[in-house]
Amino acid sequence: MKNRLSAFVITVLVGLAVGSVLFAQGRGGGGGVAQPARTAAPVDLTGYWVAVVSEDWRHRMATPKKGDFESLTLTAEGSRVANAWDLAKDDAAGLQCKAFGVGGIIRQPGRLHITWQDDNTLKMEFDAGTQTRILNFDRTKQATGEKTWQGHSIAQWENPPGGGRGAAPVRAQLGNSTGPIAPGGGGRGQRGGPALASSLTQGGSLKVVTTNFREGYLRKNGVPYSETATITEYFHRLPSEPNEDTWLLVITTIEDPKYLNGAYYTSTQFKLERDGSKWAPTPCKTAPPPK
Amino acid sequence: MLRVGLRALFLVLVISTPAFSQLNIVGEWAGRYHEDQGDRVPGDVNGDFTGVPINEAGRRYAESWDVRRVNLLEHQCQPYNLAHIYRGPLQFRIWEEKHPATQEIIAYKIFIGTYMQSRTIWMDGRPHPPAHAPHTFMGFSTGKWNGDILTVRTTHIKKEFYRRSGIPSSDLTTVVEHYIRHGNLLSHVMIITDPVYLSEPYVNSQEFGLMDRGNQNWLYNCEYKMEVPMDQTKVPHFLPGANPVQDEWAKKFGLPLAGVWGGAESTYPEYMTKLAANTPATTLRSGPALPPRPNEVHTEVEAVHVQGNVYMLVGAGANIAVQIGDEGVLVVDTGVATMREKVLAAIRKLSTKPIRWMINTSADADHTSGNETVSQAGQTLNGNPADIIAHEGVLARMTELNRPITERPLNTYFEDGRDFSFNGEAIFLYHFDGHTNGDSIVYFRGSDVLVAGDIFLTTTFPVLDLPAGGSVDGLLAGLNKMLQITVPKWLQDGGTYVIPGHGRISDEADVVEFRDMVYIVRDRIQDMVKRGMTLEQVKAARPTLDYDGRYGVESATKFVETVYKLLSEKK
Repeated sequence: MKNRLSAFVITVLVGLAVGSVLFAQGRGGGGGVAQPARTAAPVDLTGYWVAVVSEDWRHRMATPKKGDFESLTLTAEGSRVANAWDLAKDDAAGLQCKAFGVGGIIRQPGRLHITWQDDNTLKMEFDAGTQTRILNFDRTKQATGEKTWQGHSIAQWENPPGGGRGAAPVRAQLGNSTGPIAPGGGGRGQRGGPALASSLTQGGSLKVVTTNFREGYLRKNGVPYSETATITEYFHRLPSEPNEDTWLLVITTIEDPKYLNGAYYTSTQFKLERDGSKWAPTPCKTAPPPK
Repeated sequence: MLRVGLRALFLVLVISTPAFSQLNIVGEWAGRYHEDQGDRVPGDVNGDFTGVPINEAGRRYAESWDVRRVNLLEHQCQPYNLAHIYRGPLQFRIWEEKHPATQEIIAYKIFIGTYMQSRTIWMDGRPHPPAHAPHTFMGFSTGKWNGDILTVRTTHIKKEFYRRSGIPSSDLTTVVEHYIRHGNLLSHVMIITDPVYLSEPYVNSQEFGLMDRGNQNWLYNCEYKMEVPMDQTKVPHFLPGANPVQDEWAKKFGLPLAGVWGGAESTYPEYMTKLAANTPATTLRSGPALPPRPNEVHTEVEAVHVQGNVYMLVGAGANIAVQIGDEGVLVVDTGVATMREKVLAAIRKLSTKPIRWMINTSADADHTSGNETVSQAGQTLNGNPADIIAHEGVLARMTELNRPITERPLNTYFEDGRDFSFNGEAIFLYHFDGHTNGDSIVYFRGSDVLVAGDIFLTTTFPVLDLPAGGSVDGLLAGLNKMLQITVPKWLQDGGTYVIPGHGRISDEADVVEFRDMVYIVRDRIQDMVKRGMTLEQVKAARPTLDYDGRYGVESATKFVETVYKLLSEKK
């Protein structure tokens, strides 16, 4: 009896331990790359996406006047730098791409083309400013060399709860619920079940943390972010709309104690396009603000 | 026993595995205003139409918008609707309602501090209400988890605005929301479809931070105030082309007006070229075609409880109201001839007590063709068929049309109003020359339900029957009287319910929008008549443009023609 009891306790503990490991991997938290990122993708982000500028229109479609920092709380140093903005001087110094760096590019009106460069690298091209970001799923790839406008990005999938691709969503409740999917739920594949639909749109997101970038502009009128800022992004493909529109939401958090008092949050919407027929790369160029 | 205990412990451990925080949206959340802050917080908005895919109708409405309109008492305490409320300064609380036996989430509940609005997001798969159900500022919501995204669909939303600059959102708006959580940040996406005022879906998103410490600022107390004496029957608005502040925002930021009100086209990257070139004209896109107006004559008649003792019968042409109680049954209007037996059957299902009284709100065939059937099935205390009450104009019109004597109201009144008591509540009739010269509105004071007849519709522009003595001024008088009678509940939904001649159950907010529309369109046509414009010129100027998508182009044409005729004759 005692032996059977011990065996049962050991089984429980092992089960919990295994569950915890699987749980961590299910959230993309495992070290290294267990399987190719392309295979593990819980959501398909590839394609041509167009920015729909329905928010901050005057800051994004046009160049705001110098000193217009609406909605941003800058430090004294941030204000000083922003107030010293001189577009002509930037252009003369070859710094036209300061508004097209990793901290500002997502807010530029333009198109986004996302492809797999290889099984563990997503390539994100922007026609605005003809910029390219490389999103590495392989964490062993360290940033090297000089800082660049787009910096060095490490990506990881944030799988939907209940497991990633190949795992059935687990319900939050007991019984044959049609309710929400369970928090936790046992980790990737633990409960088995049929694979998700091939469209891969049932939740899950891409988390990207970028470092090793050059100082740039949050806005076209010289509102700065520093090289020491922390930039974290989440890319979500939203469930398709009744009119068949498909949206990509990019949630960006920029923390930059040098120039910003507090975190700066934005969420930017892109709509999926059928093809690249409207893809129109342009050089980094900022129009002068209205007089 | 020990084994049972351990198994139970195992189950508890498994079930209580820590939840992923991304999925728990419960908590108190406060807005972060890093996008569109100028519009969302201080409200620096005169003439700011940027980023919204408005169509021509939306632009016309916004151009006509005079902010003094909110001085009218009926508008003063109106909250933002769902499509707008997350765009203002706000905090909200989310909690779950779970089934006690299964612990399934039945609903998410949301309390929004701004205007103290409450929402329920039903997660149990229930359907949305039918088209004739009343609308509310927060609408009716159902939700579904898509992985770690909570997707919510809301219909039955009241008309309001997308911006304080007067960009309207119609009551045909549908909102799809997505809730996404990362740590203590909740992102909220809205994709808004509005066939009346938008040419394509309007997408926006906003961030909310989890509140560590409860903020006490949850109360909103709105009291009506008349700060400046003003005639409450006059609706402030600007005639087309006469808005003195429409370019205020564009000038302030040095932007071309064409871009500022450019609609959907201006939200795409290629518009930057036009903006740089200051291209003056932008053609606003039209929206998708409106769904066809549903047939009002169904195969069956449905009884819908409105409030108190009053029910609405739908499916027999014009709406029918039925009041039931200990003393018997009272019926307001009786529908089309083909449905009269089904109308009677529906009444009998509600009550088997005798039908004592009937009221006709006008002489129209779609309101009165069941008169004989219903009347003959009823009985007054004296043993006669149920008495039909109406303004004398109804009798005159029916006589003129040679309607059978058994269909005619023989208990008529000629005074401005009449009142009597039945089933323990006071009933008031008020006469107006509106749709015809014999219109009555009927108010059930105890049930707090107002039956409008064709003075108020939610399906078309008003129909002014000129041969039957219709009058636009009389119609406005009737609508203003209705606004005097109706009182919304504290947070502006419900209170007095209104059964329109055609369309869905409404309340004061719906009536005031309809009144404002009639007033504004009349004013525009009046101005054109004064300027000597012909009917063809008036039609070409599209004085109903901002409402055509809501009430239909066909009925707009007739409305413009009749109002023009009336106002030209007055001139």
